[in-house]
Amino acid sequence: MDSDSIANASVPASKDSSKEFVKKKRGNNRLAKLKQCKMDARREQWLSQVKNKGSKEESNGIVGCVSFSSTLSAICGRENRSLGSREVRSRGDEKEGGLGVHTANSESRVDNSLVSGVSGNQESRKSWSQSSSSSSSTSTSTSTSTSTSTSTSTSTSTSTSSSSWCCSRSASEEEEEDDVDGDDGCVDDWEAVADALTADNKQHQPNSEPLVEMDPALVDAAPSELVNKEAALGASEMEHCGEVKGSVENNRAWRLDDAFRPPCLPTLSKQYSFPLNSERCCAHGAVTWPCNGIISQPSPCPICCEDLDPTDYSFLPCLCGFRLCLFCYKRILEADGRCPGCRKYYDPQNVEMDANGGPPQYRLARSFSMSTRF
Amino acid sequence: MSISGGSGGAGGGSVGRGMSWCSTTSVSSSGKRIQKEMSEFGAYPPEDCSAGPKGDNLYQWIAAIIGPSGSPYEGAIFFLDITFPTDYPFKPPKVMFKTRIYHCNVDLDGNISLDILKDSWRPTLTISKVLVAIKSMFTEPDPYNPAVPNVAYLYLEDRAKHDKIASEWTMRFAT
Repeated sequence: MDSDSIANASVPASKDSSKEFVKKKRGNNRLAKLKQCKMDARREQWLSQVKNKGSKEESNGIVGCVSFSSTLSAICGRENRSLGSREVRSRGDEKEGGLGVHTANSESRVDNSLVSGVSGNQESRKSWSQSSSSSSSTSTSTSTSTSTSTSTSTSTSTSTSSSSWCCSRSASEEEEEDDVDGDDGCVDDWEAVADALTADNKQHQPNSEPLVEMDPALVDAAPSELVNKEAALGASEMEHCGEVKGSVENNRAWRLDDAFRPPCLPTLSKQYSFPLNSERCCAHGAVTWPCNGIISQPSPCPICCEDLDPTDYSFLPCLCGFRLCLFCYKRILEADGRCPGCRKYYDPQNVEMDANGGPPQYRLARSFSMSTRF
Repeated sequence: MSISGGSGGAGGGSVGRGMSWCSTTSVSSSGKRIQKEMSEFGAYPPEDCSAGPKGDNLYQWIAAIIGPSGSPYEGAIFFLDITFPTDYPFKPPKVMFKTRIYHCNVDLDGNISLDILKDSWRPTLTISKVLVAIKSMFTEPDPYNPAVPNVAYLYLEDRAKHDKIASEWTMRFAT
């Protein structure tokens, strides 16, 4: 995809999104305030650089994007102005994150994208940017989800890197909107979603995939431009990246299967956007649930006084409910074969191995939703 | 005066089935079980009962029961030997009176005819419950499951005479 052709398209899309943004975003940005100072400084730098290019968007007060292309800069500028400090920050973060990661090395980038995918807004942004960069490496366009339009438009924009960047922006926009809504109380679901996403910083893999899918549409990588951006962004980018990570870590969230997750939180209606995440959670749940059940009730075998293991707990040899370990059960079967509890003869037909896992249906539903997604 | 319980030898030896392999595995489990019973018995001993290992052998216990009031055995102390088999608690412990007693359910060697020490044994029973059962046996003999039929017959036919002889034996042997 050549950057020149579609630049115009990208702008309107960005405008719409940005407007919506502005309304929602004014309420909440704390992090933005923190970073605003840095952003302002950087903005000035960029502005000075951009003056040469002199597009209408520049007049809007474009900040971060200037270096890349006029279209990008225009978009960014609008968003930045409209959204205020936070927008700018996010933009900067995205760029920085993506670029910085890029520059560092492909491996680090991948890791970051994976990591960042699940976490909240900032994370998501970062992941998007990263993913976009990665996409440049991957290849061409098939944009899957919501961001497709934006991504295409962005791809038209001047540089591939810029396009990727824009893409990341759009993605971030969505999530930011979501986040804002959650903060405003307009949309509870999204807060829950954000929390769910932030829940596991370490396992972001699921999100990364969709991101990657989005990316290829965006990017034919122009490494040279990327390098330029990176150079321009300089050390500040790295700092931002660090900040982003920190914020990510700070975010609190519940995993889908988290025991402490308030039941009032909705199951993710928009789960499709992070299918792999849900899968991971499910797998996790499968492991954790039985463990919880076991831990909750440690007790020894009444016969041999050895602690019952999970298998013993799931073993109910007699209808009277008398539990004993499998070893003792075997010994008793070899002898008179009567239940120590009720003195009735054991009936092999009645031996139950009751399923320990509460959430099998839960898991099934999850996996099912995922499968539908794909 | 004490009766020498000649038959009370090593508990594990008399277990016919599953000799070497089974016994070695069961020793550890039975040991843990017995230790737990010992600690519980020490914490919550039944009334008028005491029990504990003879020496450093966890499988050889000695127990004492004070004759309950209202019976011809009142106030006397009866000693018992308890031998845990190696496959305890799947097999009942061997409990024998070391103190001579005039009772229809205890023979001259001290063997006790008590259902829970034989067929009715359950792995969930503990030595504490066994001692409680034996103590209740003092006040309520079971003449229909006798170890000494003559005493049982006398108990059914002439309860007063039975009690008199019992108290005499108690005075002679258990105090």
